[in-house]
Amino acid sequence: MAEKPQFPGHDLGDQFRFWPKHNEAIYERLESKHTWVEEQQRAAGGDGELPLTEAEDDPLENEMILNMGPQHPATHGVLRCVLKIDGETVEKAVLDIGYLHRGIEKLAEHKTYQEFMPYTDRMDYLSPYSNNVAWCLAVEKLADIEVPDRAQWIRMIMSELARISSHCLWLGTGAMDAGAMSVFLWTFQEREEIYAIMDEVAGARFTVSHSRIGGVASDLSPRSIEMIRDFVASFPEKVDGWEYLLNRNRIWMERLKDVGRITKEEAIDRGLTGPSLRGSGVPYDIRRFEPYLKYDEVDFTIPVREEGDSLARYYLRLEEMRQSIRIIEQCLDRMTEGPIRADDAKEAYPSKEEVYYSMEGMIHDFMYTDVGTVPPKGAHSYHAIESPKGELGFYLTSDGTGRPWRVRINAPSFSNLQGLEYLLEGDLVSDAVINISSMDPVMGESDK
Amino acid sequence: MSDTPAPSGDSQDPEELQFHYTSSDAPRPEQETENAHAKDTTRIPDVIEALRKEFGASVLEVERYANEDTVYVEKERIREICRFLKNELDFEYFADLGGIDNFKDEDRYEVFYNIVSMERQKRIRLKVRVDEEDMRVPSVTKIYRAANWNEREAYDMFGFEFVDHPDPRRMYMPEDFDYHPLRKEFPQLGVPGSLPLPPQTPDGELTMDPFAAARGSEPVKSYEEPPVEQDDD
Repeated sequence: MAEKPQFPGHDLGDQFRFWPKHNEAIYERLESKHTWVEEQQRAAGGDGELPLTEAEDDPLENEMILNMGPQHPATHGVLRCVLKIDGETVEKAVLDIGYLHRGIEKLAEHKTYQEFMPYTDRMDYLSPYSNNVAWCLAVEKLADIEVPDRAQWIRMIMSELARISSHCLWLGTGAMDAGAMSVFLWTFQEREEIYAIMDEVAGARFTVSHSRIGGVASDLSPRSIEMIRDFVASFPEKVDGWEYLLNRNRIWMERLKDVGRITKEEAIDRGLTGPSLRGSGVPYDIRRFEPYLKYDEVDFTIPVREEGDSLARYYLRLEEMRQSIRIIEQCLDRMTEGPIRADDAKEAYPSKEEVYYSMEGMIHDFMYTDVGTVPPKGAHSYHAIESPKGELGFYLTSDGTGRPWRVRINAPSFSNLQGLEYLLEGDLVSDAVINISSMDPVMGESDK
Repeated sequence: MSDTPAPSGDSQDPEELQFHYTSSDAPRPEQETENAHAKDTTRIPDVIEALRKEFGASVLEVERYANEDTVYVEKERIREICRFLKNELDFEYFADLGGIDNFKDEDRYEVFYNIVSMERQKRIRLKVRVDEEDMRVPSVTKIYRAANWNEREAYDMFGFEFVDHPDPRRMYMPEDFDYHPLRKEFPQLGVPGSLPLPPQTPDGELTMDPFAAARGSEPVKSYEEPPVEQDDD
């Protein structure tokens, strides 16, 4: 064995400290940070006099620093919250993310556009189909690829199912965070049905990778259309049932009401997105703001609540599930027959029949795997979709080869977690978990 | 289950009526591009005009691709421009910020800002060029507080120095890490041994990742092997 490597953790003799500079910086930040209230007072007062927050006279030793995470069941992933608490109140909060950082922006630079698709499944792993669609649309915009109508309808149906599936998980775990077990089992039953649909459509239950650049991988089978219709017919009743149960449950209502309240101005200022932003009264939804696929041709409403607390976000997500069902119904009715992928060897994969039974098809398949789509040199474009968590956008830069020069992922969970840091401050420790779950962060996405 | 849509005759709720309409109130303006995915929100001639009028030569150039306007501005004035955009032109929602490494001699890096105006229904992309010699970029956190984490991430990944940033820490990588991974010279596999791993036992030593340990303890010398074939039989 070679001699012991010099690590920064070894300066304290045998006392073990892992990543010492990192933790030091977090605690330093916790001390130096001005809370939201302090910032507001300073802005209003203008004299720069900060209120006394240091533990100078704290004879009862009320203040302590609580490390929540990164391994905590209620944090929905490897989220680490370092909370400075005074008795029961969270005085300051510092979030530490990056425990699931895989550097997929870097990885994307070494892959062809199509090869990167499975990585998007693992970003927001609660609704993989939305990410697939977001990636495909971004690449299609960059390379100017037109997608056949039927593929667009299929994508819409599936991404709305993904939205329902994500919200089901949010509701189940959210209720479990508040102490209710049964809702979790019911919502996961519905998620199971969506898994079955995904399985039938894409061949995989969870990480589907079904969308393709220039279309989708396979058409919906009659059996899967039947399954989707069954699901659409039965699901609204289930939502009504959950709502009937939860809305009359005093524990649920009182734990959510007035917890994590954020005003409209603050929500915009903090850059919240998705249901968290709309729960504060901002009608910002990419499906309306920049309609993609066929969203400008179907009839649905964007639920908006004015209260801005966790309860508002709960109502809003339930309503969004109902609207998704409406969208799926219309898609099923209006879906046209036709091709499911662009008919151009430089824009999309050829069908399997072509690959197996024609020489050109096989060459095209090989070339598409090897080189793939080649956007023009210097092209750069941004395309966003409304994922279940909010605005999910890809900003791509091309250097005229089959691999992206730079992929920038605008992840909604990242924006929402930034807002969460301010949401936690001033609330009770017991409400911290409610706040986290009502923001619905997914670490795979925020950590990239 | 029939495949034809069941006519919703029994439902009396007007919400349930089947009709289809286009949600946008105004007719879509003529797009100058054939790109099927181009959006109207990213086309902003009047905003660019206003910026040119206010800041003159500080607005360097305007680029358009797929109906998206990109405005290159001077790095030193990015804060004023953002303040102007927010206060005068209603661009109040900060959507995204990030860096780009163009890997060339001059003006190697770019920082882009993606800002949305909900009132105008527009989205603007600003870009500043950053030279390798001078990685300082004025922070816009005073104007858009949502830029805080994004700037930290850009610092982490590219090494920009955001001047007056309230919390200049790394976003994803630990502080003990010495590199900026999204720079083009950073290898995709990472730098072996740049981060220690926790010990295997409670009182144990910090460990290396196996890749680095393999390199550190036993240098790979493919030219030396195999000198002799061991035959057990």
